[in-house]
This record gives sequence, structure tokens and C-alpha cells, in this order.
Amino acid sequence: MAARSLRISHVGLRGVVGAGLTANHVIEFACAFGTLLAPRQAVVIGRDPRASGVMLREGVIAGLLATGHDVVDLGVVSTPVIQHAIRRLGAGGGVSIGASHNSAEWNALKFFGPGGIYLSTAEAGELLDIYHLRKFDLVAHDRIGRLRTEADAIDHYVGELAEHFDFERLRRFRVVVDCSNGTSSLILRRLEARFGLDLILINERLEGVRFAHEPSTSREIVALQLAPLVKPLAADAGFLFDVDSDRVALATEEGEPVSEEMVLPLLADHVLPKGPGKLVITNISSTALLEEVADRHGGKVIRVPVGRQAAIDALTSYRPEQVALVGEGTGAVMMREFRFVYDGIAAMLALLTMMAERGRKLSEILADYPRYSMLKAQLPLVSARVPELLMELQRDYGDGAITRVDGLRVDWPGRWFHVRVSQTEPVIRVICEQRGEPPLQLFEDLVERVRRLD
Amino acid sequence: MRGEHLLKIGVSGIRGVVGEFLTPGLACAFGQAFGTYVGPGRVVIGRDTRASGEMLQHAVTCGLLASGCEVIDVGVLPTPTIQIYVQASGARGGLAVTASHNPPEYNALKLFNRRGLFINSYERSELIDLYHQREFRHATNDEIGQVRAEYRTPKRLHFERVLAHVDVARIRRRRFRVALDAVNGAASLMACGFLREELGCELEAIHVDPSRPFPRIAEPRPDTLGELAALVRSCGCEVGFAQDPDADRLAVVDETGRVLDNDDVLALVIEAVLERRPGDVVVNLTTSSAIDVIARRYGRRVWRTPVGEANVVEQMLATGAAVGGEGSNGGVIFPAVHACRDSFTAMAFLLDRMAATGEPISRLTGRLPRFWRRFGTVTFEHGRLGAMMQALEETFPDTETDRSDGLKLIFDGAWVHVRASNTEPLVRLAAEADSPERLETLYGKVAGLLERV
Repeated sequence: MAARSLRISHVGLRGVVGAGLTANHVIEFACAFGTLLAPRQAVVIGRDPRASGVMLREGVIAGLLATGHDVVDLGVVSTPVIQHAIRRLGAGGGVSIGASHNSAEWNALKFFGPGGIYLSTAEAGELLDIYHLRKFDLVAHDRIGRLRTEADAIDHYVGELAEHFDFERLRRFRVVVDCSNGTSSLILRRLEARFGLDLILINERLEGVRFAHEPSTSREIVALQLAPLVKPLAADAGFLFDVDSDRVALATEEGEPVSEEMVLPLLADHVLPKGPGKLVITNISSTALLEEVADRHGGKVIRVPVGRQAAIDALTSYRPEQVALVGEGTGAVMMREFRFVYDGIAAMLALLTMMAERGRKLSEILADYPRYSMLKAQLPLVSARVPELLMELQRDYGDGAITRVDGLRVDWPGRWFHVRVSQTEPVIRVICEQRGEPPLQLFEDLVERVRRLD
Repeated sequence: MRGEHLLKIGVSGIRGVVGEFLTPGLACAFGQAFGTYVGPGRVVIGRDTRASGEMLQHAVTCGLLASGCEVIDVGVLPTPTIQIYVQASGARGGLAVTASHNPPEYNALKLFNRRGLFINSYERSELIDLYHQREFRHATNDEIGQVRAEYRTPKRLHFERVLAHVDVARIRRRRFRVALDAVNGAASLMACGFLREELGCELEAIHVDPSRPFPRIAEPRPDTLGELAALVRSCGCEVGFAQDPDADRLAVVDETGRVLDNDDVLALVIEAVLERRPGDVVVNLTTSSAIDVIARRYGRRVWRTPVGEANVVEQMLATGAAVGGEGSNGGVIFPAVHACRDSFTAMAFLLDRMAATGEPISRLTGRLPRFWRRFGTVTFEHGRLGAMMQALEETFPDTETDRSDGLKLIFDGAWVHVRASNTEPLVRLAAEADSPERLETLYGKVAGLLERV
């Protein structure tokens, strides 16, 4: 089977432009979103630098205007900037055009409601229903919306960052940043100019077609270009963002790439002592170090199925002050101060603040945590036999604690594994983690069992 | 109104009531079909001032980009200005988002080839097939082009081309007092600049705010131009001009406040052109015989074509004609500027003629060959059209006929033209004669006959 080139789901619309994702999809999805929103409310849009973003922008504008919404186009900006502008302008919602950590030929639409918050599963389901029914509220000619552009959205966003971070204190750090040819550079250059941060940017140029590397926030990508530069440049840390800068990854001052799994435990360690929230919401695939860190500060980890939608739904079932942090093992983290928006720039600034407060180097802070070893594999999917596989695994590993909210997770003290079907690619993912040495034998056994499915 | 008239996709392109009928999805698909048809390259797009224009332009642009075209956005502009720019810019083609003189709830796409001409009927049917078959080119990320804005050059280019053909200094010296009604359409700002700055007129302008809706019925006709006529009288203007929303058509009010017959406007402009340069004339079958009389004075030939701008333009290009148009719809075509209907060219030639002769527009009109005209419609049931035409021909045996578009019976000093509408089950009846009595007799006889069949 060919790799999937179009994915229409609760997360929105995502696909390979031309091969899967077409102009027609974009227009109809925008009409559906315009129909879902309260009538006549303004909608904020922005895009990442992918070349196809211009085509998607035109379709999104047409669909929203046709359903009676005024459109505010922010141009090329990061997703958190769009979410910030939705709230600032009191808009009815927003659309982010960009495929985040996917390669250049992909593109996607992500939808936000009032206040810049993510659509709930119920709202996303309604959006899909409207899209599939194709019953759009197309307004009469004299009620069609108008388009305007806004050029200073990033400045307003940076203004809000300044309310939460003591930039005076962060100026002492020299930081190397790999922008992955994405939108983070636009924000970082303003931080540099306005607050005198010492930043060295690589892959800064906004690029539509050929990214310098896969824009993923994984340890492997950090190791590729960013990590080797940190020590020679005498920097205190290296950070890497995905294209729409909602995710972050890092390297130490020694030039050591850090696992993407560490972003969430580091931030939990930083924000839990500050209170008032004690809950950390994450999915069942992220590191168990998180429980250990939370325990130190009297916090609690809530684990939900993989995928942003589950985390977003979980978040809404608590009062905001109960929750300290929401995140994934991918370097995507939401903090309470930023009204729970996935924001890589805010995460970077929080980590630098942590270094400043502790007066310690990044490598020293990391050395405080016990070692956890994680192994990951992805194998071809044979959908029909997945239930059988999960039953078999549950039977054979029945001595552990079983979680079946998303595939199968089995926990033993200091060790766990998770087998699940990816929502974005036609693969089965196998993840094992153990406190200390890698759980090689368990991992090999699981991989072999999944492979035998074929 | 019957539902099918709210949306029409056919050989004339795509036209409909915006909202439930003409949707962004349709416009996008049509844009992608057009982009697929002209191939990856530059395409020019602009629009008139209708409220739905911005939305539709973005939808069409989305489709064009998806097909791999680069898009030049020229914004709100008259259709002739867009056509001239398409040709001059070396683009693969162009589109104007405009429903011309139709009511504001309508919109449509006008389609141009690389020469800035309406794509011909053969090209149109190929494009429609592409659209229906959904055989679109789908560009990948590295094939998708940009959108570039070009808001100044097209206007400048259009002015330069028109002004090269008239005596600008002579017109400016006269400091004509001119009234203008641009129906808040695409020419609102441009026509003010043209008349005031370029031609040195003292301008009294109404309805020149492109951000406001159409203040009157968009088609410039005697019954819709009362405000302009009143303005001409109250301000003592020497002439009044009225455009339609995309400024291809022009209507004219004389200094007494009388709205001129469209055939007379065409005759005046043709006379002005032939005064300045040699060449044949092309008009449609329904246009006044005054044109033949004028052309004869200059020793020029008149070619007649079926009704429709594309037909007239095709014949003009084939014969290398100097000027042409269609009397009934106020369109003047002067290929030395561009082979399209253009209200700016018409305004410039009329002012040039007034400056050259020193005579008021009413006197120039009064000297035109005098004919009387009457237009009407007769409804018919499907299947009866052929019988109507046969009965008509049998009633007038041994008469010269032209069957290239319906039936035209040509007498000495009079004619009758009967043709079926493209959009509705009715026949359009036009008659002209050299006296009012003869016209009434002829019109009454033919209309009565058609109704009896």
C-alpha cells in the first residue's frame, strides 16, 4: 500500500499537496469551518513558509468569506502567534495553514475556536459532519465577508512573552537555534532586537520547498546540524523548532543532543514547585521519568491516549489552576501561563529561566535525573489483525498492569511497553522503556511478534 | 424565476447568483480547469466591485495555484484594462471576475487567452469538457507558484494606448465640462483620473465610490440614467458618460440631458475613428444601417456578424477592421487599442470629435443618418421556432435574407431581425426603417405574425 497522502480526521485536514490534498478539499473544509463557527465572527489565519501555503491560503479565505466571515490574514507566522491573535482580536476562531513537523510536500489545516483554543472532539466531529454533508451556510452576496491583513501580530505576541519572562535575566545566555527554515526565526529575531538576547540562528531562511533537514524535533535531527555547533560557539544551550514552532528539542552546552522525551520532565520539574497546578497531562507513550519528577513535587501525572485531541479533551475536564502542564514526548508542551497553547518558543524561554534560577548548566541539570532508556520501532500495519495481536500480547504479558485506552500498554515496576496503531501513518508503533539499561530482550520479543503478523 | 437561470455553466463560461448557486467550490474548480487548460505559467486575474468579487477571486486563485500557475493579481479594474494587461504582460491567459451589467447578486468569470481576447467558442467547449471531466493538473509543493500584486501598470498601459489615438492637447484646451456616472463600478477611480487628469475635463462625478453597492440598475440605459441626465442639466455639462460595473460599455447623455440611443453612440465613435484612420467596419446584424451610410461616406466596407462580442471581434481580426461594435449594448471596439469593448476608447473619441468640430454632442448626433428602431420579444413554445422563421420568410418572398444568426430580412431602407435568446424561450425582434410610419407597419406585421404562428 502506498503511503497515505490524505488524512481527514478530528485533527483537521492533512495531506501531500497535489497527490492527496487538493484545492477542492481546502475550499470545502474552509466552508465547513465557516459554517461551524458562530455567524459573522472574524477568523484569523496564518501559514508556515511551505510553497503550497499560498494555494491553501486562497482557498481558506474564499471559503470563510463565502460563509460570511471577515478574515484577518497574518501572513507567515507560527501557530502560537495565530492563537494569540485570535484571543487578542476577540475573533471567532482561526485556521493555521502548515504541516508542522512533516516534510515539505505535506500541508495541513488546523482549526481553533474562540480564545485560540483547540476544537474539542465534539466540535471537531461536527466540523467533519458538516464537511461530509457538504451543507454549507453560503451567504448572500451582500453578507460576504471582507479580507484584511495584519503585519504586527508577532510584535503583540512577543509583548505577551515579555509579561511572563524576565528577559534581563536571560540575556546572559548564548543560545544556538536551528529554525528548521520555519517561523521561529521571525519571533527570535524580534526577541534579539527588543531584549538583546544572544541568539545564533541556523537554517533561518524561510523555505518553501527544500528544508535543510526533516523538520522533526527528534534527538536524531538535533544531532544532525545543531548539536555539533553548540560547544564550538561557546553557547549555553541549543534549541531546535519544527516549522510552525509549536515543538522544541534541545542540546546541552557540551553539544550533547537531548532526547525529545526530556522536554516535558524538565519543564515539569521547573513549573510544579511554582504551583498552583499539580497535574501533568500526557499520553501513555511518554517517559515514566515524568512520574518520578512529579512525585518529588507532590504532582500527579494523568495519562491519556496518544494524539493532541485526547490531551485537549482531558485538559477541559479540569479547572485551569489544577493543571501545571500538558505535553507529549515529542517536545510539544502547553503551559498554564500561556493559556495552554502548544508553544515551543515559550518552552525554550521556560527552560532558559530554569537554568538561570538554578544557576546550573543544562548538562548538570540533566545529570540530576535517573537514567531511563527508551526503545522505539515502527512496523508495517496489517489493520485486520491488530485486535488479535493486542489480545495475544495482553495474554502473554498479563503479569503487568494493563492499560487499553489506546492500543495496549503494560507496566511493571521500572519498566513498560506500549503497542499502538499510529493515527498519522500506516504503521504500528512499539515503545519500551526501562529505568536504567535499555529493555533489549522485551523490545526484540515485541518487534518479532508484530512482524509475524504479516 | 426558474432555478436553472440562477447558475449557468456553459460555452459562455460560468455565471450565477452568488451564495447557494455560484459557490467558491465551483469557482475554484473552474479556476483549476482554466489553469490546466492554459498550462503552467502566468495568469492575470482582476475583478469588478461586486461584494462577492473578492471571495470569488480568492477561490479562482486557489484553483489556478493548484494547477501550477503563477497568479498576477491586478485587483479591481475594468475588464478592458485587464484584457490589455493580459496581452501586454505575456501571460498565458486571464480572468475577470465580473457579471458585467447583470444585477449585483450575480457574478461570473470572463476568460481571456494569451492575447487578452475572449477565448473562442472552440476553446470554451474544450475548457468546459475539462471542467466536467475534472481532469485537473495538480501541482505539487515544488510546482506551486506565487501570487504577485500588480496594481499600477495595467491602468497606465490602458491610458497610454487610448491617448495615443486622439489629440490630447486639443481636448485639454477645451476644458470640457463632463458628467460621469461610474455606477460605483470597477472604473470609478480610473474614469475620474482619465477625464480629469489625462483629458483636462472639469468633472462632475456621481457614483464613483468602489466600496459602495451599485446605486442604480447596472446596465446603462435611458431609463436607468435619470440621475446623470439631471446632473448634466443642473451643472451645464457638455456631455455625460455612464459606464457599467466592468466599464466595457458606455452610455452617453447629450448637453440637453437626453440619453443617446446606443446605436447612435456607436455611429458617432465609428465616424470619429474613420475621420482619423482608414479601415473596414464590423458590426452585428442588429446594429443600425446608419453605420453603412457612414462607412459609405468614407468609402469603407461594413461586415455583419452574428450577435455577440466574440463574433464581432473574430471578424474584426480576420478582416483587419479599424473599428466595430454592437449598437444594442453600447460596446465600441477599436483594435488599435485592443480588440475588446472599451468605454475609455469611446469617451476619448467622442471628446476628440467634439474638440475637432467644436460642435455640441446633440448637433453631432442630429447629423447622423436618421433611422427609427424598435426592439421587442415574443415568447414561444419549444419546437415552434422553426415554424416561426419559415412563416416569416414565406410572408416576404423575394427579399434579401441573412440566416447567420436567426433570420434577418433586408429591404431597401429597412430591415427586421429575429433571433432566439440563448438563455430563455423567447425570440428577440428588432426592426429599423427610414421613417416612423414604415417602422410601425413593418414591426406590427412581423410581431403579429410571430404571435399567430
